[in-house]
Amino acid sequence: MLRQACVLGCVALLGCNGETDTTQSGEDAVSSPDTRLEALLGGVEPSGFALALAPRAFEFPRDHGPHPEFRHEWWYFTGHLDGADGERFGFELTFFRYALAPSSPAETGASRWRSHQIYVAHFAITDVARRIFHSAERRARDALELAGARSPPLRVWVQDWSVVSEPSGWRLSAADSPYSLSLVLEPAVPPIPNGEQGLSRKSKEPGAASFYYSIPRLTVRGELRRDGRRLAVTGAAWLDREWGSGALAEDQEGWDWFAVQLDDGSALMFYSLRKRDGTRDPFSAGTWSEADGSARQLPGTEVEIDVLDHWQSPRGGSYPARWRLRLAALGVNLELQPVLADQELDTTPRYWEGAVDVRGQRAGAEVTGRGYVELTGYAPAH
Amino acid sequence: MLGLALGVATISSIALATASARRGFELSLDAINGAATHQLVAGPRGVPETLFAEIVADRADAGLAPIVEGYVVAAGQSLRLLGIDPLADPGFRRFGAVERDGGLKLLRRWLTEPGTVMMSRRAADALGLDVGKSLKLQVAGRQYGAVLVGLIEDERAGLETLVITDIAQAQEWLGVIGRLSRIDVKLAGDEAGRRQLANWRARLPPGVSIVESQRRSSDVAALTSAFMTNLRAMSLLALLVGSFLIYNSMSFALIQRRATLGILRALGVTRGEVLGMVLVEAAILGVIGSALGVMAGLWLGRQMLAAVTRTINDLYYVTSVNEISIEPGTLLVAVATGIGAALFAALVPSFEAARTLPQLALRRSTLERRAARGATGLLGVSVSMIAAAGLAIGLSNRSLVAGFAALLLLMLSAALFTPALLRALATLAAQIVGGRSITARLALGDVAASISRTGVAVAALGVAVAAAIGVAVMVASFRQSVSDWLGRTLRADIYVMAPGPGFSRPERAIDADVVRALVASEFVVEHSATRRVSVESPLGPVMLDALQPASRSLSGITLLDGATDQVWPAFNRGDVLLSEPFAYRHSLRVSDLIELVTASGPRRFRVAGIYRDYGNDRGTVLMSRSHYRDAWGDDAITSLGLYLAAESDSSAVIAALRAKTQGQQALLMHSNREIRGLSMRIFERTFAITRILYWLALTVAGIGLLSALLAYELERARELAVLRALGVTPTGIAGLIEVQTLFLGLVAATIAVPTGLVAALVLIEVINRRAFGWRIDLFWSGQEIATTLAVALAAALLAGVYPAWRSSRAVIADHIREE
Repeated sequence: MLRQACVLGCVALLGCNGETDTTQSGEDAVSSPDTRLEALLGGVEPSGFALALAPRAFEFPRDHGPHPEFRHEWWYFTGHLDGADGERFGFELTFFRYALAPSSPAETGASRWRSHQIYVAHFAITDVARRIFHSAERRARDALELAGARSPPLRVWVQDWSVVSEPSGWRLSAADSPYSLSLVLEPAVPPIPNGEQGLSRKSKEPGAASFYYSIPRLTVRGELRRDGRRLAVTGAAWLDREWGSGALAEDQEGWDWFAVQLDDGSALMFYSLRKRDGTRDPFSAGTWSEADGSARQLPGTEVEIDVLDHWQSPRGGSYPARWRLRLAALGVNLELQPVLADQELDTTPRYWEGAVDVRGQRAGAEVTGRGYVELTGYAPAH
Repeated sequence: MLGLALGVATISSIALATASARRGFELSLDAINGAATHQLVAGPRGVPETLFAEIVADRADAGLAPIVEGYVVAAGQSLRLLGIDPLADPGFRRFGAVERDGGLKLLRRWLTEPGTVMMSRRAADALGLDVGKSLKLQVAGRQYGAVLVGLIEDERAGLETLVITDIAQAQEWLGVIGRLSRIDVKLAGDEAGRRQLANWRARLPPGVSIVESQRRSSDVAALTSAFMTNLRAMSLLALLVGSFLIYNSMSFALIQRRATLGILRALGVTRGEVLGMVLVEAAILGVIGSALGVMAGLWLGRQMLAAVTRTINDLYYVTSVNEISIEPGTLLVAVATGIGAALFAALVPSFEAARTLPQLALRRSTLERRAARGATGLLGVSVSMIAAAGLAIGLSNRSLVAGFAALLLLMLSAALFTPALLRALATLAAQIVGGRSITARLALGDVAASISRTGVAVAALGVAVAAAIGVAVMVASFRQSVSDWLGRTLRADIYVMAPGPGFSRPERAIDADVVRALVASEFVVEHSATRRVSVESPLGPVMLDALQPASRSLSGITLLDGATDQVWPAFNRGDVLLSEPFAYRHSLRVSDLIELVTASGPRRFRVAGIYRDYGNDRGTVLMSRSHYRDAWGDDAITSLGLYLAAESDSSAVIAALRAKTQGQQALLMHSNREIRGLSMRIFERTFAITRILYWLALTVAGIGLLSALLAYELERARELAVLRALGVTPTGIAGLIEVQTLFLGLVAATIAVPTGLVAALVLIEVINRRAFGWRIDLFWSGQEIATTLAVALAAALLAGVYPAWRSSRAVIADHIREE
């Protein structure tokens, strides 16, 4: 999805906090997410960067790796984990790459800290049994091996968090006391291009598009540590990959992103771009995929969303909290319920990204599943 | 009251200036340290940057922020350059909102444009800068262009002298590519934090240690503790003199009103009531005097702050304090001291007044008799005080406070001795000169008969002059010792140094190619090279001089312990020498071992000798540069001593060398003579405050004498009028009063000279040794003593001028009619 805002969050130069456990007070806020968003959108010209203008034939494993000619890029893992004793967890591990300039710094006699690329990673655990949502952030520049993305073989990392390719998939590692994760992910379906053969347009501006593919289902096994105690876990994950050089349009305020994995192996990705006037942007779109990897693009008009409930963040802002999604053309009717109300990442800007339970009907038959929802642009300006 | 006000003004100004200097330093450290609880530090070359990468790649839970810092100069002002990684830093330093024009834009400029810096609004204003403007920064004589891209929107004090830049930029400017000054660590204060700390300790590579940020700050602040104690002691001396004056004026007020008090007692007012009345009056005087004093102190403190800050900058660390920080506590202490002194000083006279029987109080002679008896009694107290002073010095080994206490006792004992001496001398003098001059006999007899009035004034003047003599002799001895030492130590013809703030800053290095060019010059016969750094040790940060001597260098070092034929071979083998203050401070002797943290971990070095050094009161460890290079991997050079061929003209060679290094590095080059002059100027600057203080004490004493004489003259108006009526001319009356004041001045001097000399001995042998650890050769400066005495006598004569003039012009009839 369009996660530039998260990248924007990292750029609060000296004012924002690296850890979300710490309560942030108003004075730490650098400026509103809105003004920062505008700064990115209006202030930084993507000139010199490659633009996503035409459909692209993805090539793997090459396209799993970084595309430094584009301004920004991310590797976005979300998923659900089940412990042997029935305990359940949600997780998010995301790596953002952001180029501040298309050029490389001059080399001669210079400090090794000189770099024009920065990386940000977010890690969150939804501990359902304990009703704890824990999140953290790491930021570093692409220097001294503090952070980077290399391929092949794929290795993306920020400090001690990483995704590294393994013979059959990827290994994810992240830790932030008291939680740590070490997971092996294997794709259960091939990568599925979103948009027009991978070209995902976000507004009528030609450059405001990105290349976007998802792997809607990866099998997961590994271990989760909590307070130093190991828990063997299995589950299912979702990978979103996106890169480009454009940005949201002026009148776009944020988005709601849904990723649903149904028990019959089918999956739904849909992003709803919200305009400042509260209406849905016509460029909202999604993809329906089946267990065999076949996919169908969903124009915004085919997905109807009703918000059934709201959640008031103790840090400010009101988020939608329960949804009904209707895809009349597919005969799909789903209700999404967060497993925990507060799954808000206290980054700058704040956003909500959390695990949901899914139940509903497909072609008249009952279906259940799990999903992840991302909600941005709801946290009010400080 | 004026005396009290001056005393309080002195105390409060010193307290304010020192507290402000300290506070300014702490604030800037707070701002710089931020939330860091610990720091990873290594030797002078700093921590390898790869260590940071290794740690965060392993576990980045604990907040970690890499820091590269140093000092730069912009528009003649010293600034602290803090190189940070904004991506790692936010959890540490919250400089508040830094950008209003969008964070990304700023971050983009910060990371992609060269020379970008940020500073506080106040710092920018001080440099006349605005966002977007460029500035020039000098680092150790190299000049760089910078541009102000943003303001720290934080008006906290302590940020006025801070420049923030990216860590990459800081490395390049400070010439420390690949190294970090330190890594800030944020650990929780709970059990988990302690476990983590233990974990750190166990896993750090050799040569890197983890220290508490707080302790490190206090280590630096402790550098000045002896200096601050000295200042405080000086201000107490001013208060002591002030207290004499209060005693003096209270006594007078009571003597003047003894008739009234006697009548009050006769009317049935109890002793307690009289006592209470007098004390309340004293308290009121104390409050008013203290209030005035504090106000004057605020003004004086501002003037003093500049002097204090400059001394700290010269000798200890770089700090910039632009404003006085007024802490209510400091002022309260000064006011309380003032009021306390007023009450204490009033206590004796008011008991006196309260104890007096009603009809006796009407008679002055009673009081004078009692005073005469008291004077004899005080002699005993005086002697026991001298004994106590001796004991205080003898029994306390290293306590500076005990040293000052002894000094105070000495002064007090001189003061207590004064009345008896004054009486004896006056009686004696009256007998000797009495036959020849009636005026003199009258004048001196009167002095002897009224010691309750004159005694205190003379004691105050005596103490002030004694202190002045003590300080003058001490300073003169010190100056002589330093001057001799400089003459012996400075052997090279030209000294070359990288400019910049800070005493042992690693960035103050001469570029290697510049060094090569300089020593290869045809004028240079030989050279010595020194690297001056600060290294870690179990004793705290230690100043280390790594010396590569020239053939003549070593003979310039005065060994206080260790034989020359053994010391230098040992030095060449890697043993160290300790400066005298260092050895004293840490109680180390030849053959002891001292542990220093080298690049490969802690290592013990044998002490080969102790040498004289007045350069650094915290002490210095001296080692050979080749061994330093091996142990710390640091090849940089802080200063060069160039030896020229005989008959060379140093200034001409300097000009040639400057031309040769033109465009590379603007270095400080001084001839031997210049550097001696510079050193002596710094020395004089250090004692500027001492001088201010002793002039203050003298002024206080002078004013005391004046007020005593005025009151005295008032009281004797009738007597003087009778003398006039008996045919003494106005000039005769004036002469009489001048003879009295001159005599009082002489007696004060008689007391002051021996007391001052003993005080000088205490200052040199006890105070200086304990405060700074060095020995000073006593140098009796007759000139200083004579000057001080002349000033004292002039003060006495001057104090007599106005009363003499008044008395001589008094209308006789008015005063006689009062009968």
